[in-house]
Amino acid sequence: MGMHAARTTGGSGKTTGRGERSAPRPLPAFLRTFLTFLALALVLGYGWKVTQINVHDLVVNVPRIRPLVRDLLSPDVLERKTEAQTVRAPIYLPCTTEQPQATAAAPGQAYLIVEKPCVGPGESVRVEGFNFRPSTAGFIRWIPANGAPHTLDRIRTDSTGHFVITITAPDVDPATDPHHIEAEVQWGVGLPYPSEALVITVQRMVETVFLALMATFFATIVAIPLSFLAARNVMPRNPVGTFIYYVMRTLFNGLRSIEPLILAIVFAVWVGIGPFAGVLALAVHSIAAVGKLYSEAIEDIDPGPIEAITATGANPLQVIVYGMIPQVIPPFISFTIYRWDMNVRSSTIIGMVGGGGIGFILTQWINLFRYRQAGTAVWAIAIVVAIMDYVSAKVRERVL
Amino acid sequence: MLVIENLSKVYPGGVQALRDISLTVKDGEFVVVIGLSGSGKSTLLRCINRLVEPTSGKVVWDGRDVTAASAEELRAIRRQIGMVFQQFNLVKRVSVLTNVMAGRLGYVSPWASLLNQFPKAERERAMRCLERVGIADKAHVRADQLSGGQQQRVGIARALMQEPRLVLADEPVASLDPATSHSVLKYLEELNRQEGITVLCSLHFLSLARRYGTRIVALKAGELVFDGLPAEIDEQRFKEIYGEDAVQVEVA
Repeated sequence: MGMHAARTTGGSGKTTGRGERSAPRPLPAFLRTFLTFLALALVLGYGWKVTQINVHDLVVNVPRIRPLVRDLLSPDVLERKTEAQTVRAPIYLPCTTEQPQATAAAPGQAYLIVEKPCVGPGESVRVEGFNFRPSTAGFIRWIPANGAPHTLDRIRTDSTGHFVITITAPDVDPATDPHHIEAEVQWGVGLPYPSEALVITVQRMVETVFLALMATFFATIVAIPLSFLAARNVMPRNPVGTFIYYVMRTLFNGLRSIEPLILAIVFAVWVGIGPFAGVLALAVHSIAAVGKLYSEAIEDIDPGPIEAITATGANPLQVIVYGMIPQVIPPFISFTIYRWDMNVRSSTIIGMVGGGGIGFILTQWINLFRYRQAGTAVWAIAIVVAIMDYVSAKVRERVL
Repeated sequence: MLVIENLSKVYPGGVQALRDISLTVKDGEFVVVIGLSGSGKSTLLRCINRLVEPTSGKVVWDGRDVTAASAEELRAIRRQIGMVFQQFNLVKRVSVLTNVMAGRLGYVSPWASLLNQFPKAERERAMRCLERVGIADKAHVRADQLSGGQQQRVGIARALMQEPRLVLADEPVASLDPATSHSVLKYLEELNRQEGITVLCSLHFLSLARRYGTRIVALKAGELVFDGLPAEIDEQRFKEIYGEDAVQVEVA
């Protein structure tokens, strides 16, 4: 009955607002809808402009990322020792004093036959190789009389060790001395072994996991006592208790709102670049994050067992040990493992601003355009994060 | 003997839960407290062991003034008074045995108990208490794996660990089905008859109250409106306690 009455009052209140009182008449529905859409369009349009959205570049520049994606997809994981076979043939540029030179090759040895003894700038010339290692890939280069070599193209020998390629003379300084055309084929020998990038990645990944572990550990030991101070059902309902409760809540909320990235910058200045700065940054952020979760777990405690144990004549400490702790341990373990998992993820980012770990080396490789090595790190992060995710979910399932 | 004199309780919100209750319970009685929800039954039971602090009045147990007891004395009194709850109030994630042992906390060395170390004699006592309520085979099972009736029997075993002289049972069967209700109440009855443990038990159903109580007291809006033998509650008394619209419901 009461509900019904309240509703009727609410309804009639609205009607009064519209008609009887001389309040401003609401706009017609279609106009309201139109204005809403107009406002939305203006907001989105402005957003489009300030964020410099450019669909044209997005579509047209797809080829630009191709090498990057290719390198990231073929990470530098294993390598083999290589052997190479290199043959050079002289060539003159420009054609001034014609001095044809026959390349004398010993029987069975690899040699090059260059179609012309000399070329002009930008001219093409056919190069043929014989007796190379069959079915092997390599490069063809132009080695100027003075200056650094230009890699012109890839080559691949057929089953008889022969290849043909037409090259174009690069833009090099003309010289009286001969330039050279160099053909090199390379092949791997022996068993593959972990590449340097893989070794570094694994070391840094271990560092990252432990960085996250230490940060979580320090955060946990600080957060557990603090979380009791931030639990409403633990703090007495007097001015002092309430004050401490609000101070702790504010502290947790404040700390939590500072990005670990910013903390990492602060600590990198404070204790120097490296994993220790990362540990501190993640620990400070985690204290707030787990502290809040712990205090909520404490507030969720079922008061029944506490009452029952108090009724047996147990002392307050026994009540905490027997009535409270068994109830909070599983959520505490669960939140802690989840936090560790999150910290592994964060620490990859933290590393980018000097917090050590895998992020640090990843940033370096990206800056050096070593995308295959960066790819190794990216894959390692993805694998470790996925494993942590799975393991932490399984463990949390078991504890709760 | 339990003597309650002029007991009143006003909760911080201003709700008067108990109004000037005086009641004397002799040793060996099975007193059932009846009344509607909110009539003050739980508050009355909790004022006896001061889980709820009375606002005024006096509770005297065995010649000792509970209401005036220091924290230390109160714990000594509490360990003689077992308590059984509507929601069983077991620690769900730990074993049945540990839950039962918790009933002994008032007796054992506090420091050893904090490390979950109990003397062998106490473990054996816990097993005997579980045998008493017929669930010794569940000793090492997590408490939340048990059915409601089994959990309440663990609750009784925990109270038994205290070697209580008085058991307060707050709606012990309100969360159970009728058949299980009887089995749980039979254990309380057995303790009362065989060991002479005084029982003060609140119940919803008058039929259960009549079946198990040697004496019935009724509360209505925090006041004692009836105190007598089960047989004395006739239709008129019933309506006085439960209101004009109430109809008696039988529990099988």
